[in-house]
Amino acid sequence: MAAVEVPTAVVLTRRQLYLLPTAGGLVFSFLLAVLLLAAINYTNSLAYGLCFLLAAIAIVSMLYTHRNLHGLNVSLGPCTPVFAGDPASFEVCLDNSSESARFGVCVERDRTQVGRVDLRAGEQRYVRIEAPTRRRGYLTAPPLVISTRFPLGFLYGWSRRIQLPQRCLVYPRPAAPGPTPIAPDEQFAQDQNPRAEGEDFLGLREFRPGDSPRHVSWRAVARGQGMLTKQFGSGGRASLWLDWDTLAGLDTEHRLSQLCRWALDCEQAGLHYGLRLPDTQIAPALGEAHRRRCLAALALFPGQPQ
Amino acid sequence: MKQAQPDRWGLNGLLITSVLALAPHASRLPVWIVLVCTGALAWRFAIDNRGWHNPHPIVRITLTTLVAAAIYEHYGTLLGRDAGTGFLAALLALKFLELRRWRDCLVIVFLCQLLLLASFLYSQSVGLAAYSLLVVVICMASVVRLNQPTGMALRDYVRLATGLLLKAVPLMLAMFVLFPRIHGSLWRLPSDAYGGITGMSEVMQPGSLSQLIVSDAPAFRVEFDGEPPDTEQLYWRGVVLWHTDGQRWVAGKAKTVLDPKLSFEHIGAPVKYTITAEPSNKVWMLALDLPFWAPREARVRAGHLLEHRAPLRERKSYSLVSYPRYNTGALTSAERDYALQLPDQVSARTLALANEWRQSSVDNLAIAQEALDYFQRLPFFYTLEPPLLGKDPVDEFLFTTRRGFCGYFTSAFVTLMRAAGVPSRVVQGYQGGEFNPAGGYLLVRQAEAHAWAEIWQAGRGWVRIDPTAAVAPERVQFGIDAVRRLQGRGIDLGNLSADAVRRLIELGWFEGAWRGLRFYWDATNLAWHRSVLGYDRARQERLLAKLSLPELSAAGLLAALAVTVVIGLILLALSMHRARRHDPAHAAYLVFCNKLRRIDIARGDTEGALMFSRRVAALRPDLQTPVSVITDLYLRIRYGGLAGAEPVRTLKQKIAQF
Repeated sequence: MAAVEVPTAVVLTRRQLYLLPTAGGLVFSFLLAVLLLAAINYTNSLAYGLCFLLAAIAIVSMLYTHRNLHGLNVSLGPCTPVFAGDPASFEVCLDNSSESARFGVCVERDRTQVGRVDLRAGEQRYVRIEAPTRRRGYLTAPPLVISTRFPLGFLYGWSRRIQLPQRCLVYPRPAAPGPTPIAPDEQFAQDQNPRAEGEDFLGLREFRPGDSPRHVSWRAVARGQGMLTKQFGSGGRASLWLDWDTLAGLDTEHRLSQLCRWALDCEQAGLHYGLRLPDTQIAPALGEAHRRRCLAALALFPGQPQ
Repeated sequence: MKQAQPDRWGLNGLLITSVLALAPHASRLPVWIVLVCTGALAWRFAIDNRGWHNPHPIVRITLTTLVAAAIYEHYGTLLGRDAGTGFLAALLALKFLELRRWRDCLVIVFLCQLLLLASFLYSQSVGLAAYSLLVVVICMASVVRLNQPTGMALRDYVRLATGLLLKAVPLMLAMFVLFPRIHGSLWRLPSDAYGGITGMSEVMQPGSLSQLIVSDAPAFRVEFDGEPPDTEQLYWRGVVLWHTDGQRWVAGKAKTVLDPKLSFEHIGAPVKYTITAEPSNKVWMLALDLPFWAPREARVRAGHLLEHRAPLRERKSYSLVSYPRYNTGALTSAERDYALQLPDQVSARTLALANEWRQSSVDNLAIAQEALDYFQRLPFFYTLEPPLLGKDPVDEFLFTTRRGFCGYFTSAFVTLMRAAGVPSRVVQGYQGGEFNPAGGYLLVRQAEAHAWAEIWQAGRGWVRIDPTAAVAPERVQFGIDAVRRLQGRGIDLGNLSADAVRRLIELGWFEGAWRGLRFYWDATNLAWHRSVLGYDRARQERLLAKLSLPELSAAGLLAALAVTVVIGLILLALSMHRARRHDPAHAAYLVFCNKLRRIDIARGDTEGALMFSRRVAALRPDLQTPVSVITDLYLRIRYGGLAGAEPVRTLKQKIAQF
């Protein structure tokens, strides 16, 4: 797969970095003022020297603070979709591609520190940040600020707010599990046993102890794919349609939540299911990819969630 | 917000800093403050390293109150240099007993720096300055550790702090040179600001001290324009003592009443020289016999003396011209009166002796010669440890003990002269000095303090007579060190030839080397004092003129300072940036990446080298071997500790072939 180049990473440059004294830095400048007054008053050259040395150290430490962030590569890793109401978690990748280490690099969100890492030369570290989700659809990664107080703690260096384009897909919140039948399809109620065996070959899954050796796919073994068990089901009966129209009377969001619940239930039950939305139709199938496809369709269903 | 509990090693670093900051004060502080400090710091050490607990707040508050009260009781104040130092030391120590947060650590740092500054009020030596740099490095290393307790080895903190310091030094120098200096103080200094400065006394009281306190502390240094005069000529006059009560000699009213004048008839060539005087807390300005004119900041006193307008509390340089040969001319009647004053009781035999000389001599100089002969003929001894004298020290010295140093001889001599009707006076100052070939100057130490006499002779004016020289010519010819060496070997003075003395005082190789070292050290100190400690507005103006900068006002200087600091910072930033980017392995690897980009395989911004190499191998299996070899070598050079030029060269070669 050829990587599609999207600006998913930010390299901190001079224009993005700011520097201000911390409270400790203000205390330190007060100390410098006291030393200077004493030096002037006693006309004491070494006192001048001490005052200027400390001032110069504070000034030089600006460069260290700046260098601690300058050139740092900030990116976000992929984000696993979540259901509305669950927190979305983003992996912030801090990549130090320079030859010197960076210490005490903080990731901040809304002025709160959410992570602090030290990066050796060439090291990458991850900081997980979580964002609450309330509604379905895409959730854009929260803006981040990368900051540091290195080395003396007298200066606070921080980056401009970093807004990376990563989005987290938020599925509708599944409706509460209930006895409500999925659809007025009596066939569903008749057989909910996922282990039920029929004649239709459904697919392969990993061998589990207790599986009948008759169902082991020996061809797969011969190909070196390991022990796989053939799964069979009664295809005719498993082909369910989760239909938007069956939920007339509920509002959009409730319908989506209900469909989401059904999809999850079917998935768990190992039933083939299809999704029928007003302008989309997903053919019945089973499996992780199918589940994601269905849930994404629900998540991105047009209409403004509340 | 910082973590609740500061890092243990950071706290230990602060402990070391505090011990180092307190150490120079230890001998000056009262013992109980030293004990409080030791106890509190030890307690802190136990808290951090042995799991002890902070003292209960009530204990802490009681202790703090008690200590503050005790300091007030001891010094009578909490302000000023001495009390302030004691107070700061106690505060620092007690602060360690309530150290919970980053903020508390900052207070410790604050107090340590103030204590360092306080130690500069007592001494500004090169050694102390170097020591302070060490304290600052350890302090900064501790601050970094407290701020960044993870990710670095302990020695990295010291390395980082040293790096900070080294980079800060040029900026500090710029600030030191350009920061506008003002004359005088912002507010009145507490009276103890200049305590502990000692030197020659204004009073001469032979017989009251059983031992002359011989200090090797420098009194002043002299640089001559041209050849320095012979040691016998080096009489540095400080004060003239006119009045005696039989025991003490003081300047008396004569100093203020008599007409001050410097004018005299000079004979021969002048000596031009510059004196750099150590702070004496006294007004006198030493001058070679006899100074011809007064510097601007000096005023003239009777007796050809120069006085500074305010006590010399700082090192002071002034240039003078003196004539070693002179004729001061006639004596006023007032001068004569003061120069003939005698105490109420002078013993009969002293008067008789003087009278005898008066009868037998033609002029005042002849009388003086009689006295010198008397000292030589009879068993008078020069010693630095003479016996104590009683109520009439002159009589006792002349007829009984006959042992003493310069003050004894001079006091007896002038008393005899006055009894014989010769106008005479005591001069106190220094005699001799040690030439420092390393610095090209003459160093005069407190040990060279001396007293001699001046008698008035018609037609010649005041004539210097040194009665000590009659007994111990070595004192004047070879200096006080020679006297000390000879006496240390139990050799009596006054009977040896000059060559014999020279042989006897010759230094062994070790002493010679030690002396040479001492010369260099003193010359270094002088340079230090000149260029660093004595850096004031005048020197600043001169330096700026030398750099052909226009004369700047205070605001102008501050602007120049700001510009210099900004430029310095930019240069520093550039050099740090370049140092970071200069990595040949990385540069070679970037060339490799560019080659791959040409065949449409671009490395993603976030893609690590290893991931990239796998992706390339998947896309172009034919390139798998060279790509993995290059990547492996590159990773090993950068992160695997593979050092040296050879691997980098191989990497470049492979990338070039690729």
